[in-house]
Amino acid sequence: MSVPNGANRNFRDVDPFRVRVSCETVSVHTSTLAARIARMLLTLTGVCVLACGGEISVRNDGDSPARGAGNIASISGGPETEPPAPSTRAARLTHPQWENSVRDLFHLGDDTSFSKMLRSDPVQSGFLFDNNSTTLSVDDALWSGYQRAAEQIAEYVTTDASRLNPWLPAVTPGAAPGATAAPPPATATDPEARARGFVEGFGLRAHRRPLTAQERDEYLALFRMGSAMYPGMGGFEAGARLVVEAMLQSPHFLYRLEQSADERAGKIPLTSYEVASRLSFALWNTMPDAALLESAQANRLIESGEVAAQAQRMLADPRAQEVVGHFHDQLFQVGRFESIKPAPGVFPDLPTNFGAEVATEQRRFVRETLFAGQGGFEALITSTDTYVNADLGKLYGIANASSFGSDFRKVTLDASQRRGIFTQLGFLALNATSVNPDPIHRGVFLARRFTCATISAPPAMVPPLPEPMGRTNRETVEAHTQMPGTICASCHASIINPLGFPFESYDAIGRYRTMDNNHPVVTSSDPTIGGQQVHVDNALDLAEALADSAQAHQCYMQHWLEFAYGRAQLPDDAGMIAKLAKLSHEDHQPVLRLITALVTSPAFLNRSTKELP
Amino acid sequence: MKLGRRRVLKGIGGAMLALPLLESFDPPARAQKATPGPFAIFFRQANGVACEQNSQLGYREPERFWPTATGALTAETMMGRAVDELLEHRERVLIVGNVNMKDYEYGDGHARGALQGLTARGPTTPGAAGDSEASGPSLDHRIGAELNPQGRDSLFLYAGADGGWLGGSCISYRGPAQRRAAFRNPKGAFDSLAGAQQPGMSADASDLLTRRRASINDLVRGQMKRLLAHPRLSAGDRSRLQLHFDSIRSLEVQLGCQLEDASLQMLDGVDAFYASGDGDNVWKTTRLHMDIATMAVACGATRSVAIQVGNGNDSNNRYRDPDTGQLMENFHYISHRRLSHDANGTPIPGADLLHHKCDRQFAKAYKYLLDKLTANKMPDGSPLLDHGIAVWYNDLGNGPDHSPQSTPFVIGGSANGYFKQGQYLRVGGGGDPNHNKMLNTLGTAVGLRNQSGGPLDDFGDPGLPKGLLDELKA
Repeated sequence: MSVPNGANRNFRDVDPFRVRVSCETVSVHTSTLAARIARMLLTLTGVCVLACGGEISVRNDGDSPARGAGNIASISGGPETEPPAPSTRAARLTHPQWENSVRDLFHLGDDTSFSKMLRSDPVQSGFLFDNNSTTLSVDDALWSGYQRAAEQIAEYVTTDASRLNPWLPAVTPGAAPGATAAPPPATATDPEARARGFVEGFGLRAHRRPLTAQERDEYLALFRMGSAMYPGMGGFEAGARLVVEAMLQSPHFLYRLEQSADERAGKIPLTSYEVASRLSFALWNTMPDAALLESAQANRLIESGEVAAQAQRMLADPRAQEVVGHFHDQLFQVGRFESIKPAPGVFPDLPTNFGAEVATEQRRFVRETLFAGQGGFEALITSTDTYVNADLGKLYGIANASSFGSDFRKVTLDASQRRGIFTQLGFLALNATSVNPDPIHRGVFLARRFTCATISAPPAMVPPLPEPMGRTNRETVEAHTQMPGTICASCHASIINPLGFPFESYDAIGRYRTMDNNHPVVTSSDPTIGGQQVHVDNALDLAEALADSAQAHQCYMQHWLEFAYGRAQLPDDAGMIAKLAKLSHEDHQPVLRLITALVTSPAFLNRSTKELP
Repeated sequence: MKLGRRRVLKGIGGAMLALPLLESFDPPARAQKATPGPFAIFFRQANGVACEQNSQLGYREPERFWPTATGALTAETMMGRAVDELLEHRERVLIVGNVNMKDYEYGDGHARGALQGLTARGPTTPGAAGDSEASGPSLDHRIGAELNPQGRDSLFLYAGADGGWLGGSCISYRGPAQRRAAFRNPKGAFDSLAGAQQPGMSADASDLLTRRRASINDLVRGQMKRLLAHPRLSAGDRSRLQLHFDSIRSLEVQLGCQLEDASLQMLDGVDAFYASGDGDNVWKTTRLHMDIATMAVACGATRSVAIQVGNGNDSNNRYRDPDTGQLMENFHYISHRRLSHDANGTPIPGADLLHHKCDRQFAKAYKYLLDKLTANKMPDGSPLLDHGIAVWYNDLGNGPDHSPQSTPFVIGGSANGYFKQGQYLRVGGGGDPNHNKMLNTLGTAVGLRNQSGGPLDDFGDPGLPKGLLDELKA
C-alpha cells in the first residue's frame, strides 16, 4: 500500500481549501517499519514550539511525548494566515457547563443534578457536539427551569451554615476579590460593608468578571430586600439568598459573553476575563477557577506565555480528561453503544451489558492513550492496546481473559487482527445489523467523520438487501449497491463500500472472522482518501492509510476546532485547521499539544472584526 | 389556601386574570368557569400505519387501520381496525383519508414526514437526511405565537427515549431551521405552567414568591436590555437574546393551574421513568403529558400543544405486545419489517401485525386524551373537547415504503362546530399534495387568519397551492 503524502486535499465539499504540506513525499509501507521510523525521525526533529513573530520554529528538544508535554506548540502573534473567525458574543452555557459552574460556584460535590430541572436542548442541523453556540437559546420553558433551579440552589446553599460558609467570599480588607474564605467566612462588623463585599466577591465569580458599579448597586438594592422577601431568615442570609437567585438568572452567568469591541491590528483582543472563560469552558467545561480569575485580575491573560502556562495547568487537571472524553464520546457516538442489540438467537452468549462494557472499553482506551500515553490522533486509530474485562477479552480471543473478572485491564491485541479504535468492538458492533456486519454504515461513518466527506442521502424507496443466496455479505452488498451506472454506485462504489469492506473480517459484534457464509472473507479495497485512491488489504491497512492521510488529520482537527468554538467551521478557520492538522500529521504531536496549540493561538484569544450573520 | 380552588392572580402589569376551574373544583365555583378559546392539541405518531400494501417480503399485508367504508363511523365500519379503539368517541371524531404530503427532497422519509408534518415545508438543505431541518415554523408554534396570551410559547411535549434519528424532538419549529425544545419531563412542564402556584404553597408564600420573581425579573430585564444595546451584536445573537428577554416577560403572568391528585402523585415519581424507551413508561409519560395538555388548554395557559412520541423514526422505544406480555422490537424495526434501521437485516415474522399492535397503542393513548377532554366540562356543561381539536396524525402513510401519501389524520372535537364529526371521509385532489391545506384548515378552525384577515389559507410552503379542505367543514 502506498499513500502519496503532500497531495492537495479537498476539505469538505462546501468549503474547499488547499493545504500545502512542506515535508517531502513519504511512501509508507504499513507492513514494514519504514513508516514508523520515518515518523520517529520527524518526531525527534520536528517538534513545533512557541515562536514569536508568527513563525513556527522547530526545536530539537529530544523529549519523549510524555516528557515533552510541557513544550507547547503555541502560536503567538501569528500572521493572518490563521485569523480569528467570527463567533457568537453570547454563547449560552450547555447544561453540563451550567451544572459544573453551579457546582464550582458553591463548592458542591460532584453529585449535584440541578440541571435535571432544565428542559433538554434540541439537536440541530447535524452539529456533532452539544455546544452549538449559534443555536443554544433560552425560551419560555428554559427560562422557567432556570428560575426554579436558581431558587432551589439558593435555598440549598444559604439555609445551612455548613453549606453556606465554604463559598462565601472573604470581605476582610485586602482580600482579593473572588477569593473564598477558608471557613468560617470573614465577617465585617458593618452590615453594609459585608453586603457589598459579598455582592462584589460572589458577583465576580458568578459573572466571571468584576461587576460594574451599576450592577453592584442593583444587586445591593436587591440584597437589602432580602429580609422582607425571606422574613424567616437572618438578614445576611436572606440577602445572599436573593442575590444568588438573581445572579443565577443573570445573562452574565447563563451565557459566556464577549463584549470586547475595540479593534487592534485587524483583530479584537479579548479581555483577560474573557480569555479566562474561553479557556475554562473549552478545557474544563466549567467556570474559571480562582487561579484563572487571579490571573485575569492581574491582566496577565493577554500574555501568550501566561495563557500557555494556564493551559498546561488545566490540561493536567482531571477535568480536562472529562472534556477530552466528552469530545470523543460524541465523535465516536459512544452514547449510542448502549443501544447495540445483536440478535440473541445468533449471538446467544453475548454479555447482557455488552453496550455498557464496550463503552467503558473505548472511554478507557481514549483516556489512557491521550493522557497517560500522550498519544496523538495516529495512536487512536492504530494502537493495538485496549482495556478489557473477562467478557470483552473473550470476544477478542484473549487466552487468559477469564481471570480478569469485571476489571478492565490493559491488553495488547493481536497485531495481525486489530489496529486502533475502528477495530475495537464498540465501533464494529454499533455499525452492524443485528446479525451481520454493516459495511455501508461502517463506510459512511468513516467517510463523514474521518475524511469529512459529504455524502448525499440515499434515494427514497431503496429496496432491501436481497437474501445472500450463498453469497458473502460483501458480495450481497456489492451486487445491491454497485451496479454500474446506477445512482447507488456513484457513492457506494467509490466512497462508501471501499471504506466499509475492509471491516468484513469482523462480525456483527466485532469478533474477528476469516469466513463468511462458508467463503473466505475478502477485505481488500481501494478507498479514496484525500482525493487519492489507495489500496488496502484489510482494516489494518486502512487504519494506517488514515493515519498517513493529511485529510484525516484535517478532519479530526476540524472537529476539535468546532468543539472548542461551539460552532461549525467557517472559511476563516481554514488556516488554523491546516496548521493544527500539520502539527498532527507531519509532526505527530500528541492530542494534548494540539489542544494547547488551539487554545493558545491568536485565533482563539482574539475576536474577528467580523461578526456572525 | 388550597390550590384546587378558583383563584384570581394579579399579574405584574396589574391585570386581573380570572382562572378557569378544573374537575376538582367545587360546584359553585365550577359554575363560574370561563370557556377557553379554541385550541389544538397535536399528537404525533411516526412510521406510518399497518394498512393494506404489498409487503417487501413477498406477501400482501391486509388493511388494519382505516375504517371499512367512508361515511358515518359505525361499529361495523370501525371494528377490527386500529381506529375501533375510538369507538366510544366515534361521534366526536373525524377520520380523514387521502391527506398527501409533498415528496420534498429531505433525503429520508422520516425526515420528510416528521419535519413537514406540522410545517408543510421542505428542508433548508436538500438531501440532508438525519441532519435535516424544516424551512419554516410549525402550526403549533404559530398558534401559540398569535393566539396565546402575550405570545407565550405553545407547549411542546416529548415522550420516550431521547436522541437518535433527527436528534429526538423534531416536529415543532419556531422558524426556518429553528427547532424548538420540548419538555421531556412532565414535571418540568407542569412547574412552568404552575408558576408561583406551586402545590402545597400558602397564599402568603405564593405572593412572596411572585414578588421575589418580579424583583429579579426587573433586574435581569435591565441587564438584558443593556446587552441588546451592544452595537456589534450580530443578528443571530440579537434574535436569541431577544427570545430570552421575551421569555422573562411572558412568564410573569403565569396562570394558576392544577392537576388531579392522581396525576400529581404520579408526577412525584416521574423522574424514574420519563426518559425510558420501555413502552410502559412511554405511555405513562404520554398520559401525564396529556393530563398537562388538558389542564393547560382548560385554563387558557396555551391554545396549542404538540405531543411527540418517539424520535424521528421512533427507533428508541419498544412497545409491549399485549398478547405475549413481551417487549417488541423497537417500533422502527417493526415498521421496516426487519431487524434493521434500513433495508437490510433479518425479517421479523408477523411484523405487519406487530405494527398494527403499535397502532392500537397509539389509538388507546389518543383515546385517553379524548377521555380527558370530554370529561372536562365547561360552565354550560359542554365538554372541553367541543371547544377545540385534538389531532392524532402520522407523518408517514405506511411502514416500509415511507409513503407521503394518505398520511392518517384523526380530528377529535369540532372547534365549536367548525368540523364535521362522526365520519370517515377521503378528501379530494387525487394524489396531489394537500397536507398544507389540512394544516390551513386546522389553523383556521382555532382562529388563525391570513394577512388579509380571512381564513388561514397560505400556511407552509408558499409554492404550494393555497386553500383549505372545505369538505371537512360542518
